[in-house]
Amino acid sequence: MKLLVAEDEPKTGIYLQQGLREAGFTVDRVVTGTDAIDQALNEAYDLLILDVMMPGLDGWEVIRRLRAAGQAVPVLFLTARDGVDDRVKGLELGADDYLVKPFAFSELLARVRTLLRRGNSSLPVQTTLQIGDLQVDLLKRRASRGGQRIDLTAKEFALLELLMRRHGEVLSKSLIASQVWDMNFDSDTNVIEVAIRRLRAKIDDEFEVKLLHTCRGMGYRLEAQDEE
Amino acid sequence: MKPGSLTLRLSLLFVVAVAAVLMIVGIAFNELSRHHFRALDAQALEEKLAAITQIATESGANPDLLRTRWHTLLGAHPDLSAVLLQADGRTFFAEPPQAAAPGLEQATQRDGVWEWENEAGMFRALKSAVPLPDSPPLTAWLVLDVTTHMHFFTMLQRWFWSVLVASTVLSAALGWLVAKNGLLPVARVAQTAASMSAGSLKERIPLGPVPDELRELITAFNSMLGRLDDSFMRLSNFSADIAHELRTPISNLRTHTEVILAKKRAPEVYEENLTSNLEELNRLSSIIDGMLFLARSDNGLVVPEPVELDLRAVIGKLFGYYEFLAEDKGVPLRVSGNASVLADSVMIDRVVSNLLSNALRYTPAGAAIDVGIHDYGGRVELRVENPGPEIAPEHLERIFDRFYRADPARREGTGNTGLGLAIARSLMEAHGGNISCTSTGGRTAFILTFIRTPTLQG
Repeated sequence: MKLLVAEDEPKTGIYLQQGLREAGFTVDRVVTGTDAIDQALNEAYDLLILDVMMPGLDGWEVIRRLRAAGQAVPVLFLTARDGVDDRVKGLELGADDYLVKPFAFSELLARVRTLLRRGNSSLPVQTTLQIGDLQVDLLKRRASRGGQRIDLTAKEFALLELLMRRHGEVLSKSLIASQVWDMNFDSDTNVIEVAIRRLRAKIDDEFEVKLLHTCRGMGYRLEAQDEE
Repeated sequence: MKPGSLTLRLSLLFVVAVAAVLMIVGIAFNELSRHHFRALDAQALEEKLAAITQIATESGANPDLLRTRWHTLLGAHPDLSAVLLQADGRTFFAEPPQAAAPGLEQATQRDGVWEWENEAGMFRALKSAVPLPDSPPLTAWLVLDVTTHMHFFTMLQRWFWSVLVASTVLSAALGWLVAKNGLLPVARVAQTAASMSAGSLKERIPLGPVPDELRELITAFNSMLGRLDDSFMRLSNFSADIAHELRTPISNLRTHTEVILAKKRAPEVYEENLTSNLEELNRLSSIIDGMLFLARSDNGLVVPEPVELDLRAVIGKLFGYYEFLAEDKGVPLRVSGNASVLADSVMIDRVVSNLLSNALRYTPAGAAIDVGIHDYGGRVELRVENPGPEIAPEHLERIFDRFYRADPARREGTGNTGLGLAIARSLMEAHGGNISCTSTGGRTAFILTFIRTPTLQG
């Protein structure tokens, strides 16, 4: 997967490039809108990450020219301004997603993965998910680990399903709150911590190999082998 | 009339009032005089007629004597003429001799008195039968020349108009003086107000030497100054608070980083410290998000997208969210009542979530949080009530202020940014509703009030 990051703030751009590379993507970086257009027209990218406020050509102008040139690559906007008008303008111009600074890198990574998945949705519909010896039957709403049945409440199951579907990714608390409980705002409670602790007690506590990992300050990740 | 100058306005009103009063007095005087003259004339005519009749009764048998006595009676009155006609229409007596019976083409009759006007002047007349002892009664016409009265009225009118014009001019001048003088206290108040600045918001306009009518205005002005002062204070406190709220985490970050970089360490130590820094940065980030949200809200940029919301369902969803946490703390969540309102779904989730998270923070284990929904028709109340430490009255008013914490010790930890209640209030205000708090008898309740307006319901 090849990404292009256009960001005029050099520090931000370098960190984004490094973070995305370490997440397994090939990442090119430019610092002006003009360069972004040149690069995007000459190379095949899977996703563009554009800063809205760039000197010269801003992100909106870049996407306008790219779309005019028939380039349909998905675009994720980064902006320091959070106005509804800005958001609407960006989406009207054909942006695929919109992220307001300051954002958590894990959040950006999750959005990038979602946008890239959208491109190849030809994956077969899965009815069972498996990570290590943890198995989830999405139709029967049942979970088991090592053949041992695990009783989960509806919300615990929804939480596990989300973590399983996006295994390997760090999921932030606000993403989990939004996906599992439909709470679409940041709240300063420790509801998610408690929910994770409960889930962990059921799927991990009695087993040698731990699957559910806490990434302090970032979120939670479900993974068979801890890379560390 | 343009509302430019109050003095001009008052003077003009004064002029109009004086002119109107003078007009009424003039017209009334005119009418009364006319009435009085008419009565006098009628009386004079009736007295003469009575004398004529008296003489006719006494000397009727002797026509010559009769005429002589009538002549004596009437000859001394140049403005009075009399004609007495026989039944066949011939003149029996006339004084002055050339007088004839009046033609009555333009005459009007009022209370038995005839009245007419022609080029010779104005006349009033009485017509009556005068009985004679031996012959048929005579018809008597008694005519009074009242032209002099008319002259009087013409003069009266001329005087009246002159006086009216003069008084109007005079009253305009007087009115201007009176208004100018009467408005002096206003000018003095304006002077005081003009000398106020942001630095002197604590000053008030003194009520002492001010007339009663201005008291209300000044009281209102003073209370406006009070509110301004309050907002100004809050704004300054807010800036100071921002500095403090941001300074603490930034200073922590700096110290941490400097200490860690001071010598070589094991990778785990770097990792631990970076993680700790990340947590601090997340806190900073959420403070900035909250402050930006409040700033947008203050500028009217937070616009709800109202939909029909079933509050019971909203509470159900939020209880689902807080279920694990509440179970963990051993605090049952209870709801009663139901109502639906037009409101923005995400915003109301956020408001109620803030209240529930707040309540969970302070409710002791074993005690329950009660949510009550009350539909009062025109308004809907949602109460989130919990037992727990009471909030002192002096804190109640300020609890919705940004960064205001009743207990300064609660500043750190729990991830609380101190903006939750301020955001809840701004969201409720964006909905045209409000939020309030009571804390008595060991129970604290937050009350959301939604106002139902006909347009919103439509």
